[in-house]
Amino acid sequence: MKQSELVHFFHNDLFIPALKASDRDGVLREMAACLEAKDKLYKTSLIYDLLKKREDLGSTGIGDGIAIPHCRSIAVRKLTVLCALKPGGVDFAAADSKPVQLFFLVVAPPHDINYLVFLGKLVELLTHKKIKKALFTLASFEDFITLISGGR
Amino acid sequence: MHTILQRLVMLQDLDCMISEVASKDGRKIQKKMGLTVKGEEKLQEAKEALEQSIPPAVLSKYHKLMKRFGRAVAPVVDSSCMGCYVMVPKRLTLRTVGNQEVRTCERCGRFLYWV
Repeated sequence: MKQSELVHFFHNDLFIPALKASDRDGVLREMAACLEAKDKLYKTSLIYDLLKKREDLGSTGIGDGIAIPHCRSIAVRKLTVLCALKPGGVDFAAADSKPVQLFFLVVAPPHDINYLVFLGKLVELLTHKKIKKALFTLASFEDFITLISGGR
Repeated sequence: MHTILQRLVMLQDLDCMISEVASKDGRKIQKKMGLTVKGEEKLQEAKEALEQSIPPAVLSKYHKLMKRFGRAVAPVVDSSCMGCYVMVPKRLTLRTVGNQEVRTCERCGRFLYWV
């Protein structure tokens, strides 16, 4: 998978410009509920509990205000990615203890062969200095897509 | 959604997480992400607690199916069991109907979950 192909996994209906929740579990629930609301998931509780269990093993906050909560579940039809922003950030027990402002929720069915590859490529992208800096100045989903497509 | 079906889905997802956390590829990607994974035994404890809430006969079938196929619950997509690709009965096309009971595939016997 090329880095430029990442763009195909993002959709503008799976973008939350300002999360309402103010703690870790609330953020996870709000993102899972968004997947249910967009008919990507039958029931929020099916992945909410799983995401919490994954966070309990160690935070998915990779530092610099970014977290990538992820899990595999048969509750989704295909690899599903939701991008969400939390202005001001929320405590997510991240590696650098900084509040997390940008979330990428990644859920895939157990058999999905792109899941680990996608996670790896996403991390590569997010650790790119220029991209990282620009991520927090995004005004819209379209800006985000332009950025990861290499157009900014 | 039927409570037992929901628990079976959660149990299989938990089993999947346990094997992924222990797998070489799973560990490699977590390392690449700069993440540390500790306390896998917590997952095992959660799994055991979940198993306690499933009737013994259903749980026994789950384990048999896991042993035989690697997965005991198969998603239903476009009216087909994704375990063996056989069509499910027409009356069960809607997921709101399908997920109301614990059902199994007539061909492969896997538990069915309408995605």
